[in-house]
Amino acid sequence: MSFFHTLMSKVRSYRNDDALDLELQEELEAHLAMAEEDFVRRGHGPSEARRLARIELGGVSQLRQAHRETRGLPWIDAYRLDIKLGVRMLRKSWGLTLIGGLAMAVVIAIGGGVFNLFHTVLGATVPLDEGDRIVALMTVDGRSGERSQPAWQDVERWQEMLSSVDEIGAFRTLSRPLGVDGPAPGAAPSLIAEMTPSGFELARVPARLGRYLVDEDASSSAEPVVVIGHGIWTRHFGGADTVIGRPLSLGTETYTVVGVMPEGFAFPVNHKFWIPLKPGDDGSDAASVFAFGRLAPGASVEQAQAEVAALGLLPAVEAPSAAAASGPALSPVVVPYTLGFVRVDGGDEKALAALMLTLVVLLLIPPCANIAILIYARTVTRQEEIAARYVLGASRGRIIAQLFAEVTVLALLSAAVALVFVQLGGEHLQQKLVLEGDAPFWIDFSHFSWTTVLFTGALAVLAAGIAGLLPAVQATGSLMDLGLRALGSRTGLRLGLTWTTLIVVQIALAVAVLPMAVSVSWGSLRPGILGPGFDADRFLTAELTLENGEAADPALRQELLRRLEAEPGFASMSFNPRLPGRESWAFVEIAESESDPFRPSGRGPVVIDFNTIDQAFLDTFEVELLGGRLLHAADGAPGRNAVLVNRTFAEHLSGWEPGQEILGRHLRFLDRSRDDEPVHGPWLEIVGVVGDLPANTTTRLVYHWADAPWAGAPGTQAPEATALSIQLHGDMEDAAARLRAVAADVDPALRLGDVLSLQEVYRRNQLDETLPAYALAGVTLSVLLLSAAGMYALMSFTVVRRRREIGIRSALGARPGRLLLDVFKRAFLQVAVGAGCGVTLAAVLSHLLPLQDMGAQEIPGIVPAAAVLMIGIGIAAALVTSRRGLKTEPTDALRQS
Amino acid sequence: MTDKKSSILQGTLDLMVLKTLEQMGPLHGYGIARRIEQVGEDALVVNQGTIYLCLVRLGQKKWIESEWGTSENNRRAKFYALTPLGRKQLAAETENWQRVAGVMDRLLQPAE
Repeated sequence: MSFFHTLMSKVRSYRNDDALDLELQEELEAHLAMAEEDFVRRGHGPSEARRLARIELGGVSQLRQAHRETRGLPWIDAYRLDIKLGVRMLRKSWGLTLIGGLAMAVVIAIGGGVFNLFHTVLGATVPLDEGDRIVALMTVDGRSGERSQPAWQDVERWQEMLSSVDEIGAFRTLSRPLGVDGPAPGAAPSLIAEMTPSGFELARVPARLGRYLVDEDASSSAEPVVVIGHGIWTRHFGGADTVIGRPLSLGTETYTVVGVMPEGFAFPVNHKFWIPLKPGDDGSDAASVFAFGRLAPGASVEQAQAEVAALGLLPAVEAPSAAAASGPALSPVVVPYTLGFVRVDGGDEKALAALMLTLVVLLLIPPCANIAILIYARTVTRQEEIAARYVLGASRGRIIAQLFAEVTVLALLSAAVALVFVQLGGEHLQQKLVLEGDAPFWIDFSHFSWTTVLFTGALAVLAAGIAGLLPAVQATGSLMDLGLRALGSRTGLRLGLTWTTLIVVQIALAVAVLPMAVSVSWGSLRPGILGPGFDADRFLTAELTLENGEAADPALRQELLRRLEAEPGFASMSFNPRLPGRESWAFVEIAESESDPFRPSGRGPVVIDFNTIDQAFLDTFEVELLGGRLLHAADGAPGRNAVLVNRTFAEHLSGWEPGQEILGRHLRFLDRSRDDEPVHGPWLEIVGVVGDLPANTTTRLVYHWADAPWAGAPGTQAPEATALSIQLHGDMEDAAARLRAVAADVDPALRLGDVLSLQEVYRRNQLDETLPAYALAGVTLSVLLLSAAGMYALMSFTVVRRRREIGIRSALGARPGRLLLDVFKRAFLQVAVGAGCGVTLAAVLSHLLPLQDMGAQEIPGIVPAAAVLMIGIGIAAALVTSRRGLKTEPTDALRQS
Repeated sequence: MTDKKSSILQGTLDLMVLKTLEQMGPLHGYGIARRIEQVGEDALVVNQGTIYLCLVRLGQKKWIESEWGTSENNRRAKFYALTPLGRKQLAAETENWQRVAGVMDRLLQPAE
């Protein structure tokens, strides 16, 4: 209790410091006056009495200071002063502030962004009443840790038997075209929640108009009814109250509207229509559904978990026929509702988050070590100030605290800038999610939480610890002693071996890593900047499947194509497994040469993208043949095993130029997912090289003939053709509507997803890639700036250290050129060694790292250019700092000795 | 030559001030210092300034309270008085001190 009283009193005193000072002064004056009178009474003369009174009281200024420290919070004053000094140093060393600050801001932004992402996804709570008590009931595979949806029959059992979870319900998502005035098969499909009415009770959100679903609606004899979302109500029904009782078509079925939900309501995920889930309608109680419920009052997730675990799953589900052979060990699991939608390999979200955060912290080290070099160099130049403070009584800890505070100020400023980057990145992500339209309603990346701010602040303090504490400890250890002996002289200083080695390493890394980062960034950004190389706006694309998610059979596809060809404005079309530019990836092995066409080369598996194509594909996209021949019907015969590759493939893998022979070489697909030896498919002969599609891609492509037997690795499935591309002559919107109408007419079970122009597909692709590319570009820029600053610091330090020598030799008539060469010999040597190591390291890394697999675009001569750039920066830094050195007056130089 | 004056043991000044205020009632800083010196019969070295630091500490713990008043020679001075909390603390500290002093006394007795 007395601790609390003391603390409160100190806080109050801190706020009334000046008034308390005056009060103390008055009190001490009274004390001295009384003491004086006492001494006078005891026979001393007035001046002697005054002197004795003062001696008895002790030093008044020291007492005032001690009083202030006892009654207030002196460390706040000390740190306030440190921060003030820190801000002043930032202004003074503005170069260090800008470069170090930018570098810190970039890494802190990456760390904060990753945290924000994880926190938003893994830490989200449903924004509903007591949303934190809403849970998902799932099944988990004991071996893989993968969670999946339970069967309806288990949900029914849980509804009856669980006491720790109430309001248990379930939903599944359907996708059907909305028709306001009768069925509209050509309309874009809408997401519909087929949900147990208990979902509305769980959400505790009343209907905006009419009512929500009730249990009677879910009986098999009930009339089909639908509840609609606020957006649908305003957009399609003008927000009129008369919507209740109106018919509405979803696919081929007609429902009666019974209610409108309020704005923002999208439970269970992002739905705008709700129809009752009628279990058993599909003839099977084993159909999987997403189950949810609310923890009973007083119950915890752990209790609910224990209860479902004790109940187990019904036998029919525990050993479903498809998995009976391997016998997955499924068991029920209760997780917070939002985690039910997170898919993590191995199922351990916490481990993944911990791994990511560890990587984020590790990411801080390289730039902070760079900044540490700069801080050390600056601290060394302040040795006199540090030594003087030490002499005047400041402890080593106090000086370290001051130096640390200076870097902390810089780090906190960087963190503020980093939060701006995090916000921009979050908005970018949110924009992408909104575009794709499948973001759960509780996910919002565009607003970061206070937890993200705290985490970013913690990263800043950690960064300050790495960048500021080490140089501060080192500098105060060696310099104070040295500084005391050499106050006024700088001749004794050396930039120790550790720091010069760090500079060499830094230059080497810059020369080796910068070109790679630039290549990877350019590879990612190039398609977006230069475009796909053809008019992608002329192509309408769609993902075509059956209602059950399977691919349509070839006869159905052919019928659809036949009907579409008759449509006006539809020029040519092709069905492939993937759209150009969005192909699947695989490993292939390349044979060494023509002379021994079936011996694998020693270079190991190579990542490629592949697609299966037909003649229509090549015609539709006007793919140019660069060498060899195109595929044709005869290549469908067993044993022909012919493939085409694109220009990037040919150039990357054999330095191919048009006219040279890559034709006749062989490759084969590998399956590396097996635990044992990788298995491979048959050897395939490269019979032709075609142009890149899209142009400016960095992807190595292999085209397989659609009618040929599947030549992938044994055990892998031939990809199903589900991506439809249509070259248009007319309007995109009209064409999309006609495509939907024709598809519905050919077979109502056909589902069209992502009906978009190819340009839009590429734009969305770019959204995925630009964020990491910009982050990489930011890191690259900061590394470059840090390296340049490191060299500047090195040169500047060299000049400072040898200023006396420069001054004297200059006075004795030494030629400036010769003088500079002597002075900078060591520094130049360091830069040259660093650049040389960098070039060597780049050569080694280019063989070791699968840069092209990471989408790097090779830029000829970039490594030597980076080396020249670094040496150039070194020379420029030397020239700038040497001007200062040559201006040193010999008399000044001598005075410093 | 042995110095007959002793320094005040760390932590005992608080107890002295509390006891003085209990015995003398409300008193200003100079009065407290003089009273301790008188009781110590010049055997104790009291840096009078430290009394004020001690008074701050005791005030922060709510063991004493202060009020401006007029001294015996008509001078404005700050008077300190014991609070009920301080009285309780004094009792506890006194008991503790006596126990420690007893132990020290027994320890320092010459062996019989």
